[in-house]
Amino acid sequence: MKYLSNSAFRAGALGLAIMATAASSAFAQDKSVMIGLTSDPSHLYPLAGEELSSNIMFYHLYDPLVKRTAQLDFVPGLAVSWETVGDTTWRFKLREGVTFHNGNSFTASDVVYTINKAKDSIRPNLVANIATVTAIDDHTVEITTPKPYAVLPNDLAELLILDEEYTTETGDVQMDLKPMGTGPYMLEEWIKEERLVLKAFDAYWAGAPKIKKVTFRPITNPATRTAALLTGEVDVIQDLAVRDVQRVKSEGGFQVITRPSLLNVVLAMDTRAVSPTIEGDNPMTDQRVREAIARAIDTDAINKVVMNGLATPSDQFVPASHIGYVDGMNFREMYPVDIEKAKALMADAGHADGFTMTLDATNNRYVNDAQIAQALASMLAKINIDLKLNIMPKSNFWGYIRVPTAKSSFIMSGWDVPAGDAGSMYGSLFYTRDKKDGYGQVNRGSYSNPKVDALVDKADATPSIEERDQYLQEATKLLLADIPMIPVHYEQDIYAARKGVMLEPRVDKFIWAFDMDVK
Amino acid sequence: MLGYLLKRLIQMTLVLWVVSVIVFMMMSFTGDPVFMVVPIDATDAEIAQARRLLGLDQSILVQYWKFLTNLLQGDFGYSYVFRQPAMTLILERMPATVEMVLVAMVLAIVVAIPLGVYSGANHNGRMSRTIMAGSLLGISLPGFWVGMVLIYVFAVSWGIFPSSGRGDTAEFLGLRISLLTWDGWHHIILPAVTLSLGTMAILLRMTRAGMMEVGRQDFMKFARAKGATRRDVLYKHGLKNALIPVVTIFGLQLGDLIAFATITETIFSWPGMGKLLIDSIYRADRPVIVVYLMLVALIFVVINFLVDIVYTLIDPRITLK
Repeated sequence: MKYLSNSAFRAGALGLAIMATAASSAFAQDKSVMIGLTSDPSHLYPLAGEELSSNIMFYHLYDPLVKRTAQLDFVPGLAVSWETVGDTTWRFKLREGVTFHNGNSFTASDVVYTINKAKDSIRPNLVANIATVTAIDDHTVEITTPKPYAVLPNDLAELLILDEEYTTETGDVQMDLKPMGTGPYMLEEWIKEERLVLKAFDAYWAGAPKIKKVTFRPITNPATRTAALLTGEVDVIQDLAVRDVQRVKSEGGFQVITRPSLLNVVLAMDTRAVSPTIEGDNPMTDQRVREAIARAIDTDAINKVVMNGLATPSDQFVPASHIGYVDGMNFREMYPVDIEKAKALMADAGHADGFTMTLDATNNRYVNDAQIAQALASMLAKINIDLKLNIMPKSNFWGYIRVPTAKSSFIMSGWDVPAGDAGSMYGSLFYTRDKKDGYGQVNRGSYSNPKVDALVDKADATPSIEERDQYLQEATKLLLADIPMIPVHYEQDIYAARKGVMLEPRVDKFIWAFDMDVK
Repeated sequence: MLGYLLKRLIQMTLVLWVVSVIVFMMMSFTGDPVFMVVPIDATDAEIAQARRLLGLDQSILVQYWKFLTNLLQGDFGYSYVFRQPAMTLILERMPATVEMVLVAMVLAIVVAIPLGVYSGANHNGRMSRTIMAGSLLGISLPGFWVGMVLIYVFAVSWGIFPSSGRGDTAEFLGLRISLLTWDGWHHIILPAVTLSLGTMAILLRMTRAGMMEVGRQDFMKFARAKGATRRDVLYKHGLKNALIPVVTIFGLQLGDLIAFATITETIFSWPGMGKLLIDSIYRADRPVIVVYLMLVALIFVVINFLVDIVYTLIDPRITLK
């Protein structure tokens, strides 16, 4: 009815050309969107901490030097171009004529300030690969890295640039409430746990945003989120509950948008001679036992039964978009589910009778994590591995499994690399422990392979992206053959929106109204 | 009276101190808050830096001593997660919760007391038995289920009420109050009804039991005999004598709902403080949990004090010593 009367009105107004133009331009100025998020952001100040909702706000309010597109390409942001001068020195040419929301102009000193500020903040990892930064002139900065580092621009996509003058005046605590950046939107109002309203910054360097007002509402309960979409209280919701997918699809006027996320759920196996939850020698030091475990785990069944078909079984440790991915290699084809073969491998390794160990997993971090753990227990029982489950909330989990992993043999966790590069993951997860500072710090299975170490070293020593890719691909091949860890699946990101909302889901999940449009 | 107040004050200080000690001790078992703040692949140096920035690099005793000394200077500490003053985080969410609880409690009283008096006076009638059956439902249906059903029926299917949120608010004495706007009332009805059902049922049953007890007393017959109307007998002579246990329960329920209305708040995404407590527990955010629970203890102490005063108003034989 509403549409009918609207179009009737428009038809009538057609004769009055001037009026119609005036009406449509007035219409265009009022574009707004309401987005239902799973939680309220904890921060609006990027150096105070981060989680998904905060990240979403950060990229509306601030800009990085290098922008990450929805498809994980890295393109100029506040820097227009960059080049290497020597192996460890980078020169970034900054965009001219950019202003912060308060009118201050953006210059090289803001970049220097932000990097130095990050070093002393609670997030020093943002600038872990930066040794020094100097302003050459108002719109050029030089950044040096401790060693050649080919993917520095990818890292910089996470560093959001602050206004030196404003941030110094405002102080860390107030920055969380009164953010100031160069981003496409400015903060209009933030009522905690109720709504956060952004208004367009029309002087944005990449052009004025199409949507003038963006309202975020935190709606934690998944069923309420669906209800708020169906009643028209919000236009878009994040994380549609799996059980509501059919319901929303069956309603006219709504769309369900999905895409595989970057989050790879993986199983780390202990490779120490003696493992905390296994009696006697640790059978998993033997590659055949690790292969048997991989062959006993039916990821398709997990996807169908536990995940309602909304997961993508993973083929490698990183997705195809990443540096270090080997085209054509697939873990699922290398080790297809085969209980007989798995049993034979166990027997070859001298463990036909199996063994008992404990799986550490979360119950509130990944989609259906506790159910996945239960499915794993019944799958491994088929090859006589008695898997005890030790399931806990995430607040206990990270400290519990932390290296030196004194209590764990088998751990389920997730890993994502939004920087688009396998290097940091391999360096943290597979590099021999305690050999080199900043490497192997999350190597929970104590895996050690000198060849992998050497390849990661080489990758981290070349300034060339192509060479880095080659070395990391070699490492991927070694790791897939050696199986220190079993990749299970990528979760699916699920959004729902009313029809008329144009939303391209981003690989990194950071909903960005600047790329959206509404009809 | 002065002695009574002093005794109460000492009691209160003791309770608050015990709460702070217990929470501090408990929190050392619930996981290390640093790991909720740093990324998974943080190096030891990065973790050490975070620990230092959060003040977690000292022993638990030193941390507790610092907390106490800061407390005496009016500094309640900063949240590990939000990096904001813990007290501000709680206070800015409090009006929404208090408002919803008050509406729910008024609703509960308005419905429960008359129905309780009625079914206590006519405890064998058909109507009375229907009321009692209804109150059983009110006690046994879980709040989250009632909330979901109300959203489904009134918001999704019929579109009478909004599904969630607080709606428009108006400013009053610097606080944001939704009871001052039509839209605010529109939003508060469903959550308040959901929250009130349990309390309503309990109050109703307490009132009924009290009325049945009082109804057998001689003074009720005398009142009737001296010619008081049935209404006066029930409400002036009967209810007043049946009210002591009802007021006690009411006080406890009021405190309980203000402190732990979490489920209703989550379902209706009501921006109250209950959700903050749960989130903080998940994130091992000790400063917020300590201040929250101390504040809750304070609320209970104050409510119990008010309840004591109400006793003396209802029954002049009771005095505060």
